[in-house]
Amino acid sequence: MNSRIVRFVLTTLVVFACLYIQRCTPGTDNKSSTKLKQYYVKGEALYITYCSNCHQKDGSGLGLLYPPLNKSDYMSSRRQDVICLIKYGLQGEIIVNGKGYNKPMPPLPRLTDLEIAEIATYIYNTWSHQEGLIDVKEVSGTLSQCKDLQ
Amino acid sequence: MTRRRWTRLVMGLFIISGWMLTSCIQEKPLPILGERDVQGTDTIYHTIADFRFIDQDSNIVSKETFKNKIYVADFFFTSCRSICPKMKTQMLRVYDKIEQEPDVLLLSHTIDPEYDTVGLLHDYAERLGVKSNKWHFVTGNKDDIYNIAQTSYFATAMEDKSEPDGFLHSGAFLLIDKHSRIRGKYDGTKEEDVNRLIADIKRLQRENSQQ
Repeated sequence: MNSRIVRFVLTTLVVFACLYIQRCTPGTDNKSSTKLKQYYVKGEALYITYCSNCHQKDGSGLGLLYPPLNKSDYMSSRRQDVICLIKYGLQGEIIVNGKGYNKPMPPLPRLTDLEIAEIATYIYNTWSHQEGLIDVKEVSGTLSQCKDLQ
Repeated sequence: MTRRRWTRLVMGLFIISGWMLTSCIQEKPLPILGERDVQGTDTIYHTIADFRFIDQDSNIVSKETFKNKIYVADFFFTSCRSICPKMKTQMLRVYDKIEQEPDVLLLSHTIDPEYDTVGLLHDYAERLGVKSNKWHFVTGNKDDIYNIAQTSYFATAMEDKSEPDGFLHSGAFLLIDKHSRIRGKYDGTKEEDVNRLIADIKRLQRENSQQ
């Protein structure tokens, strides 16, 4: 009887220990999802400060003045341009979902590469988008190549 | 008491309480804002001064345009990225509510007339998707615009180099009645305040229909 109880307790302990090790060892998947969450939360706050005035909190834009982000073929197909234009702004006409938009977007030169990565991660993982983490390394690489916008 | 008497009594009570209720519901008129001058038995209220501006279709817009109309006025500029997009989002909500109301108009003044030309305002209105006979975007002499903002509408509008976009202005929406009097002031960047404005427009319409 006693040995049964001991065996039961031991088995339970082993199972819990295994579960603990599995959950708390920093596996790659886990790490990137925590990072994604961190980027997303900070990106949301930055989006509200710098972007939502024009593009709206729900990303719906405003008429043909400010293009929508919540559903946007431009965003889906031109991720590098989007990263560049967050920092350097945009002039001239662009076509989003088949409609022309032609109001200049002001640059935000004071944003750091990390902040741009956070904003990009937020807008690319909310509404209809699920692109996953956009890392600061990717953003720095992209930003160093958008010379024509600088 | 017989049954018939009871019925009469109950019906009578219903009628009396109904009358009391309707007399309570009669709403108070909206306040009239600004200074007033009492001369004998007459009270002279603050009214919007005469003006003459040009709208997005190059038409002249003056007090005559708003004769016997209720209108909502604000001050903005197209290149503003701080509060104007919020104001325009909210004004567009007002527009959607009053589009079918023939007695209500909207009037947006640019405070950057050097940049906001008639052509630019036309493009802006068209991109918002609004009709020019309903929502006038006007430009004109800069001093005239600043002057009417400050002295007629009690709204802040001036150049200020220390501001990020170079202008200092309030996000206020002003509700003007058909006698050119200010009947309400609302924060055009706040949804709840604009809900109040939409309700007050209806109140003003009811006030007009009672006269």
